[in-house]
Amino acid sequence: MTVVMHLEDITLSYPIDRRYRKENIQPSGVRNISLKVEQSEVLGIIGRNGSGKSTLLKMMAGVFPPDSGNISTRGSVSLLAGVGVGFNKELTGRENAYLYGALMGRTKTQIDDLIEEIQDFAEISHHFDRPMRTYSSGMKARLGISVATAFKPDLLLIDEVLGVGDASFRKKSEERVKDLIASSGSVVMVSHSMGLLAKICTRIIVLDDGRIKFQGEPKKAIEYYNKLLS
Amino acid sequence: MCAGKIPPNMESEQGMEPLTPLWGKRSTLRLPFIVMMDIIRSRNLLRLLVKRDLSARYRRAYLGYAWAVLEPLLLAIVYTFIFTILVGSTDPLYPVKIITGIIGWTLFARSLTSSAKSLSSSINLFQFARVPKTVFATSGVLTNAVLAIISLTCLIPFFFIHDLPITLNLILVPFWLIVLSFTGWGIGLMLAPISCKVPDVLNLVNFLIRAGFFLSPVMWTYDMFDNRFGEGWHAIVAHLNPSVVPITGMRDAILGTSSAIPNYGYLMCFGIALLSYFFGAIIFERNAHRAVVNV
Repeated sequence: MTVVMHLEDITLSYPIDRRYRKENIQPSGVRNISLKVEQSEVLGIIGRNGSGKSTLLKMMAGVFPPDSGNISTRGSVSLLAGVGVGFNKELTGRENAYLYGALMGRTKTQIDDLIEEIQDFAEISHHFDRPMRTYSSGMKARLGISVATAFKPDLLLIDEVLGVGDASFRKKSEERVKDLIASSGSVVMVSHSMGLLAKICTRIIVLDDGRIKFQGEPKKAIEYYNKLLS
Repeated sequence: MCAGKIPPNMESEQGMEPLTPLWGKRSTLRLPFIVMMDIIRSRNLLRLLVKRDLSARYRRAYLGYAWAVLEPLLLAIVYTFIFTILVGSTDPLYPVKIITGIIGWTLFARSLTSSAKSLSSSINLFQFARVPKTVFATSGVLTNAVLAIISLTCLIPFFFIHDLPITLNLILVPFWLIVLSFTGWGIGLMLAPISCKVPDVLNLVNFLIRAGFFLSPVMWTYDMFDNRFGEGWHAIVAHLNPSVVPITGMRDAILGTSSAIPNYGYLMCFGIALLSYFFGAIIFERNAHRAVVNV
């Protein structure tokens, strides 16, 4: 299998606010993570709140550099960091789609070709031309998934977005993720909805306290995670 | 590589681009060129960001872009009032000088602050994908440059009122505006990473800009300064302010006059501009990526 992204022993600790520095708390972040993301796989990441899932995704996307360790990648990487994150509230859905496309390095004509598809998939009718601040969180999630998958990045990182929409949209986005995989893309997704992960992931890793505690088959990983919680 | 165009399971390991490190080593001296290349490469994104900033700025105002023209005009009325009534100046061209000064200074100040703040203000934009972070500093500067050019139109009536010469020298007006925003951009790039860790830097910048309004030739002119202090260390210190020569240059170009700017004045102006870009690019690229963790 072809490796799309290779993380070698990466560590990042967030700076501790100077007011609390004396209390000798352990900095949060991720520690000594080594991981390979392969082509056409859906990798799930589960873990408690604050276990470093989102931080890991941000480093994979190249937003933060790690304190130590190496990240290497091939192809384009795109991150959907939560519902509505990265979108401008004052701009309309359409304008945000163009902005997203430009951030992904696409030209205006390339985005023009895709815009109709984005609009159709999001199914938010006339709201597509209304400012994002008027959107409900479900509508934001619809637009986010629609835009992020339309540009077909080689690696798509999804942080807790798929679980938001209604049942019909969830089904559609699952299919969209599968389409992306079929066209030789890869997906890494963070979610708390185990049902969804069990259904579409090929592999799941369990993070706790910034470290990988388990990785392997979805079923076993979820079992491990449930034990960890109890 | 573009996924989607290649059918699945067709490509081989050899045919694909190799794994490249996200944070590869880059030599310090090459960073200014890397920054320039990054910006040229992301011109499409830049254009969109500038368009967005411009439309967002006056989106809710009834007068829209007219505010860009009205602001310097209204300020000029206030300052002309102060100078003619209270100080007793009789210069009929004083409003023109003031407006030019305000436009030049505002561009410099806004370029500096917008690029210094760019990392914290656009944090949500560089989460989607890997985009050079200098682009966001640049888009703020370009937006302000466009606004400055719109503001310049408020000078058109004065050309008829005072019968000002319309010559090729007017090309120097945009030239000096570019110098002003370029310098502000460079200084802002230097300050952007540290301002993420120490937000007090932005408070200091705000103060310096307020003070700089009086220390720059906005309300006074180069000649006033020259007549009073002439040659000597005063003049050298004054030229350390990178807005002195460009604002004077703009005025000269518009009024058809020539101020006695010494050669070292030009040298210092361009020197500061280039040095701040050079060091700005290096400091930004070395520190900005790690600094974002603090935001």
